[in-house]
Amino acid sequence: MNERLFLAVAGRIVPGVGSLDAAGRQAFLALVREFMESKPPALRRQIDLFLSLIRWLPLARHLRPFEALSPERQDAVLLGFQESRLLLLRRGFWGLKALAFMGYYGRPVAAAAVGWRPEREGNRRLHP
Amino acid sequence: MTEREYDVVIIGSGAGGGTVAKELAPLAKSGARIAVLEWGPRFREEEFTGREIEMAARLYHEGGGVLTKDGAMTLAFGKAYGGSTVVYTGTSLVVRPDTVARWGVKGLDHADLARRSAKYMAENNVHLIPEEDQNENNRLFRDACRRLSWRVEQFPVNVKGCRGSGLCNLGCPNAAKQGTHRVQLPQAESAGVEVITNCKVERIEDRAVLARVAPCRFGFPSAWEPGEHRVKARFVVVCGGAVNTCALLLRSNLPARLPVLGKWLTTHPALILVAEHPRPITNFHGHPKSYYCDHFTESRRFLLETCMYFPFMTAKSMCGFGAPHEAMMRRFDRLQMILSLAIDPAREHNAVGINAAGEPVVDYTLADDVLNSLLESMRAAARIFFEAGAVRVHAPATERFAIERADRERIDDLVVRKWLRPGRVSISAAHLMGGARMGAGPDDSVTNEWGEVHGLPWLFVGDSALFPRCAEINPYLTIMALADRVAERVTRRLSAPGGR
Ligand SMILES: Cc1cc2nc3c(=O)[nH]c(=O)nc-3n(C[C@H](O)[C@H](O)[C@H](O)COP(=O)(O)OP(=O)(O)OC[C@H]3O[C@@H](n4cnc5c(N)ncnc54)[C@H](O)[C@@H]3O)c2cc1C
Ligand code: SF4
Repeated sequence: MNERLFLAVAGRIVPGVGSLDAAGRQAFLALVREFMESKPPALRRQIDLFLSLIRWLPLARHLRPFEALSPERQDAVLLGFQESRLLLLRRGFWGLKALAFMGYYGRPVAAAAVGWRPEREGNRRLHP
Repeated sequence: MTEREYDVVIIGSGAGGGTVAKELAPLAKSGARIAVLEWGPRFREEEFTGREIEMAARLYHEGGGVLTKDGAMTLAFGKAYGGSTVVYTGTSLVVRPDTVARWGVKGLDHADLARRSAKYMAENNVHLIPEEDQNENNRLFRDACRRLSWRVEQFPVNVKGCRGSGLCNLGCPNAAKQGTHRVQLPQAESAGVEVITNCKVERIEDRAVLARVAPCRFGFPSAWEPGEHRVKARFVVVCGGAVNTCALLLRSNLPARLPVLGKWLTTHPALILVAEHPRPITNFHGHPKSYYCDHFTESRRFLLETCMYFPFMTAKSMCGFGAPHEAMMRRFDRLQMILSLAIDPAREHNAVGINAAGEPVVDYTLADDVLNSLLESMRAAARIFFEAGAVRVHAPATERFAIERADRERIDDLVVRKWLRPGRVSISAAHLMGGARMGAGPDDSVTNEWGEVHGLPWLFVGDSALFPRCAEINPYLTIMALADRVAERVTRRLSAPGGR
């Protein structure tokens, strides 16, 4: 997987990805890599192919690849996939989005940061 | 390859397999050799960490995200000693009489299933969680439904010593949820039933199965050494869950005419809906699921249930991306959640098949009537959220990310079918039913009303694959009741002179 490109796309899906420090980025990528490694080669190829599509599709219209576009244009490209008339493109984008969310919110530190802090004795919080 | 011999082999240890194992335990006590072969591991208590990605990867087939053939829906089912009962929420409902009547299976009546369900309700300590242990996520739903004059009921749940960690779907860290891994399997084992974990059955042959034991990085080691095992059995009971049961039967090329094997699959396609309150509410502390609204079961064919999911699951369930999505996620402690489930009609073309490697491929089309039910469910959920005081509601079938409170009178204009496109909206299913349905003969079913496969008197199905149509409610208790019937029939056959 082209991780630089994925980070660029993921940064539009979850803006917080863009402000991760080096350790956070590594933890994010580690989860993504682990997921990719657990999948059959055919699925990994599909994800790579879809990323390439996101990269090169803007060339026709904006004469630049995805990473070189302004953030607004990048969002418009991604929205185009989400709202596409083709199920194949919609579901491809959904899969990529899920991967970005997994890498970001799957880190225990991010889950805690959004406020999800379950406790074994959760009921105690209901009747302090 | 190791050769072994048993009287009964049960494949899978979830709601169905665990029940059959326990019901056959008296036979084991009197000397019959009975084995449960389970693909997944048996977890150690300390391995239930509550970490979302780690637990999902370990407890579910494909991390809980098995995709349907067209990629428009994800399916979640467990892989462990206890099957999906390790990850279910434990809501325990008895199937309704009209549902059983709709199934139209001769020899299967509601009174019988209700009697058997009552047995498991007692065995699994099913009861209502007291008011003081219900969090606001649950109470807001109940109160809003009541104000809207919509029928709302409390879910009986099967917990013992629940401490409200809210982690049911990641495996209970308090050993409170009474799945088959806590109740039926230990009982069966103490009577002499053997449970072999990390053991995948690859194929069924004539009165035998071919299985492979593989080492696993976590859980207790398997009772059998890694490698291939050929296990002869007088009776085989397949309880791998709707998807895997069908795949296993299909790849086994059984010597019987089974033209509808894998077909008529139903799934209760579901949406996770999210809304934001102006203040923090108690949501992830406490048991996650206390109420359901079945007001629209007959008229619009959907159910609404309280739920509370984890950050990644929540994020991927919402449509959209970028700043508004992230902003809502950051207010996790203000989120209220509702699960909506479509009561989907059984259709022959919705089917489990297999690929060249014999692995399952689930071909399920989200038909217009099902999508319309989901659309209506989204509108109803939005009304509940606003009635409960939410400031904004994320309804995926809208153009914008969220409906603001000021627009709450315009729900029907904003939540429209145009935006409810498969692939755009996250649709998932955890109630997989059918594929080896019960019925009168092979033209419209795979087994008879006792789970015996047509034409193969030594082979039974004892799990969620048996449903002729969907359960129209959360199904595990009905699966146990059906499995109880199967066990009764196997017992009778095994105890008959000559054991046939
Ligand atoms: C997250 C979640 C929450 C749920 N909550 C509820 C709820 O609150 N109430 C309710 O009523 N229902 C609930 N359900 C549904 C319920 O858990 C299932 O319907 C039920 O457990 C299915 O029972 P089963 O025996 O058919 O399959 P499972 O319980 O899934 O068990 C099948 C087992 O067979 C094993 N297996 C499969 N193939 C093979 C093979 N080839 N060889 C060996 N082993 C094999 C699998 O690994 C698995 O362990 C929930 C489900 C999920 C996923
Ligand atoms: S809420 Fe109760 S049953 Fe669910 S995981 Fe926590 S302690 Fe177990």
